[in-house]
Amino acid sequence: MLLKDPARAKSDLVVDREAHAIVLTRMFAASREQVFAAWTRPEHVKCWWDPTGRPLAECEIDLRPGGAFRFVNQQTGATHQFVGLYREIAPPDYLVFEVMGATGRVVLDEIGGKTRLTVRIECGSATHLEQYLKMGIDAGTAKTLDNLVAYIGATQN
Amino acid sequence: MEYRTDRLSRAFSALADPTRRTILARLAVSEATVSELMAPFELSQPTISKHLKVLEDAGLIERGRDAQRRPRKLVAVALKDVADWVEPFRSQWEGRLDNLDRHLAAMSKKEKQHVTKGPSARQKRPSR
Repeated sequence: MLLKDPARAKSDLVVDREAHAIVLTRMFAASREQVFAAWTRPEHVKCWWDPTGRPLAECEIDLRPGGAFRFVNQQTGATHQFVGLYREIAPPDYLVFEVMGATGRVVLDEIGGKTRLTVRIECGSATHLEQYLKMGIDAGTAKTLDNLVAYIGATQN
Repeated sequence: MEYRTDRLSRAFSALADPTRRTILARLAVSEATVSELMAPFELSQPTISKHLKVLEDAGLIERGRDAQRRPRKLVAVALKDVADWVEPFRSQWEGRLDNLDRHLAAMSKKEKQHVTKGPSARQKRPSR
């Protein structure tokens, strides 16, 4: 969604105000195992987490129930770090974590040889949901993917 | 302010349904009559009308001037309110998932290289 430019947006975003939840879905031409690894291994996460395409400055993952994770963007630094705890880890089906008082659920479904990724972020209240959505503003809107393209180019050569 | 919040809530409820989002996407291209909307969606007239009423109550669509055809059209301002509210979040995740898409493509390519080059080539690569 949100219909701003339907041709360009590849992800579907639904805001369920009654459940205080945000649900994102997107298809990937990769196996569930690959997508799960991309979400849970630091050497992968650090390559794609920052929307600007820069590699993360820090990426720590303690992949076990109760284990912590910490993602720090180069640009925003530790003031806007993404810190949370893993709750459930079930490769390659799903991953549950808690971050900033919200529960994140990553669910992977195989559909016709591809993987459908569903990211569901559940907040405690409508106010919490608004706060969560507003945090996106801090991350900056400029999307420069040049760095990531350069990174992928470098690893393939 | 209260009015705006109420309207936003109605807009979000209306947008929670995939059929209604598809109808809006169609109306984003041009206005359309009920029968024009029925054909591509394979929905009955009462079903379409029900969806259109929800969208109309949420202020997302309105009726065009032609009294005979009664075409529906998008209310761009209402959609912009919704988009402004959620756009920073959406754009952040769109960027992130675009990155993930590219990264997965690179991962698949690497795995294929491993397979074609065989175990001797694999040993020469730095271990993780």
